[in-house]
Amino acid sequence: MRTALLIARKDLRQRMRDRSAIVLGLVAPLLIAALMSFAFKGTETFHYQLGVVNEDHGAIATELVHALSSSTSRSILTVENLSSPAAARADVHDGHVAAALVIPAGFSAAVAQQHPESLSIVTSVNNQVAGNVTRSIAASFVAQIDADRLSVMTALAGGAPANTLNALSAKAATLRIPLQSVERPIGAGQLSAISYYSPAMAIFFLLFTISFASRSFFVDRTQGMIERMRAAPVRPAEILAGKALSVLVYGTLSLATVGVITSTAFGANWGSPFAAVLLGFAMVISVVCLTALVIGVARTQRQAEGFSSILVFGLALLGGNFIVISSSPPLMRTLALFTPNGEAMRGFSDLSTIGGGLGTVATPIAVILLFSALTGGAAMALARRAVS
Amino acid sequence: MAAMPDGPLLRCEKLRRSFGDRAAVDGISLSISPGEIYGLLGPNGAGKTTMIKMVCGLLEPDGGEVTVGGRHVSTDLSVKSLIGYVPQDIALYPDLTASENLSFIARLYKLTSDVVRERVAEVLELCELSDRANDRVDSFSGGMKRRLNIGAGLLHHPQLLVLDEPTVGVDPQSRHSILERVQEFGRTGMAVLYTTHYMEEAERVCNRVGIIDHGRLIAEGTRRELVERLGERDRIELSATGNLEAFAAACRALPGVDSVATTADAVQVVASDGRRMLPHLLEAGEPIDVTVNAIDVTEPNLETVFLHLTGTALRD
Repeated sequence: MRTALLIARKDLRQRMRDRSAIVLGLVAPLLIAALMSFAFKGTETFHYQLGVVNEDHGAIATELVHALSSSTSRSILTVENLSSPAAARADVHDGHVAAALVIPAGFSAAVAQQHPESLSIVTSVNNQVAGNVTRSIAASFVAQIDADRLSVMTALAGGAPANTLNALSAKAATLRIPLQSVERPIGAGQLSAISYYSPAMAIFFLLFTISFASRSFFVDRTQGMIERMRAAPVRPAEILAGKALSVLVYGTLSLATVGVITSTAFGANWGSPFAAVLLGFAMVISVVCLTALVIGVARTQRQAEGFSSILVFGLALLGGNFIVISSSPPLMRTLALFTPNGEAMRGFSDLSTIGGGLGTVATPIAVILLFSALTGGAAMALARRAVS
Repeated sequence: MAAMPDGPLLRCEKLRRSFGDRAAVDGISLSISPGEIYGLLGPNGAGKTTMIKMVCGLLEPDGGEVTVGGRHVSTDLSVKSLIGYVPQDIALYPDLTASENLSFIARLYKLTSDVVRERVAEVLELCELSDRANDRVDSFSGGMKRRLNIGAGLLHHPQLLVLDEPTVGVDPQSRHSILERVQEFGRTGMAVLYTTHYMEEAERVCNRVGIIDHGRLIAEGTRRELVERLGERDRIELSATGNLEAFAAACRALPGVDSVATTADAVQVVASDGRRMLPHLLEAGEPIDVTVNAIDVTEPNLETVFLHLTGTALRD
């Protein structure tokens, strides 16, 4: 153990002198997490400018404009009245508004007389979300009109006098469709971009440890230092343990530092510190095992660099370090659960949204440790040969 | 240094090691006593480094055994504390200082902190690098790195020092300094196994020499013993131009010629009574248009022995 500590201390000293280690372990994850958080900030508090062209000014059109300007709608959109469909197209094209709704002249009368009439939505490929939301609002409004109409028709069919038509219509207009979707997240909180991308980037750059730790092993071997260690009364297992320990310490420090800085400076929510530390530590253990596997499989420094690059980017893509995994296709979501970083991301997301402690991340930790046991077992057999 | 055992410190018995079908070391036995400097002399690829790696426990032999101080190298890890290994290539961390390198290597031998400090200072002094102790190794000259590389093998005061061609690529001044140090190690009672393909180094520093070729120890003894094997033979070097291979073949056919080898610009001949042979050798070159530019007749040395035993020049 003393020799393993000696080797680990020496490795860490070398790593700390290497500026790239500081950049990869600390600066890059903080910077990229901040940038991605900034880039995706709009997705968590979505709000846009909706241009409205009211060429009708009838009762129903007024009701629609009123609905769009209501306090409920104001949380996601701000209405800007536009003069004409041409102005709407120009403003959407120029990005002054994200989308526009055109209420044609005669719309209210057509609805009252049960003639088909269309609401036009002007959208831009640059903001498809705004277009989709506007389309949904329009569809919802049309559904409400249909429901009103159905109510009145039902009342008349049930024997209501024809002279009560206006009263019935007015009454129906005050009713709202009883079935409405209501957002009820499973956790108490919402997953903010910074809370997702802080662990995502910390883990992504932690994965890079595989690359430079395995490269460092082969540099040591090329420089004859592994041989020099083996010429001393040192067992191959002690050399491997020393190398593993340095990865463990470096990885833990990197993850912990990014965690502390992003939560204190950027407001990222990592959830329970105790559970987050355990989950992070499990992730670091899996990185140690993956590093040993690369050392065991590779024959040369170049091979080690190639294998680790494939591993780092493959895992990052599958595990959701670049994109929010819940937005991915079902196959990707399933594959993510077969990667240690995917499990870790799931755990950190749950800690941030559901809250709780160790119970919340028990399953991800167990899966990561199982993954580590499998890769570590294979690695030990192969890596011993690399040292010998 | 710890108390020296009676008899040889290093014993190698019928060591064998193959790489694929090629036998790198083929049944070599040798022993080295305390205070003895043993030179393992042979051309590149003869099996010297493989032999050394088995002695240091870095390579498992296919057959045979190595003991140091009576303890088996392959089974007793602690025996490595008796061995100081100086690899052929510089094995130091370029991004650490001289002091940090030595301190790290010393601690691998489980020395206490006080002893480590003392030994690091001692080795830096020995390597004449005390004033560069806190400089990174990548700022050192080749000679300084070489000296430090050797010093790293001495930190734990080994009883057996194994040096694998320590002077390769070293300037003459540093080489001289290294050879002086090696002789000094022998005088202090350390057993030294020294591999080289420089005959003059082996002649200068080694008490006993083993000549290795194609993985076999083909001769062993003191310089005098080996040279005496040649009897009254001389080594004649004929610097010449023309078809040297044909010239060598013509020389080889002459009675009294024991062995002939060619180098890039010369033919080396081992023959009884060299001065008497000289006219015949010159005549042998005439029909094949070989022009002899210079002739050097020397007393037999280890190179002559090697040439005589293997039929090839040592630096082929």
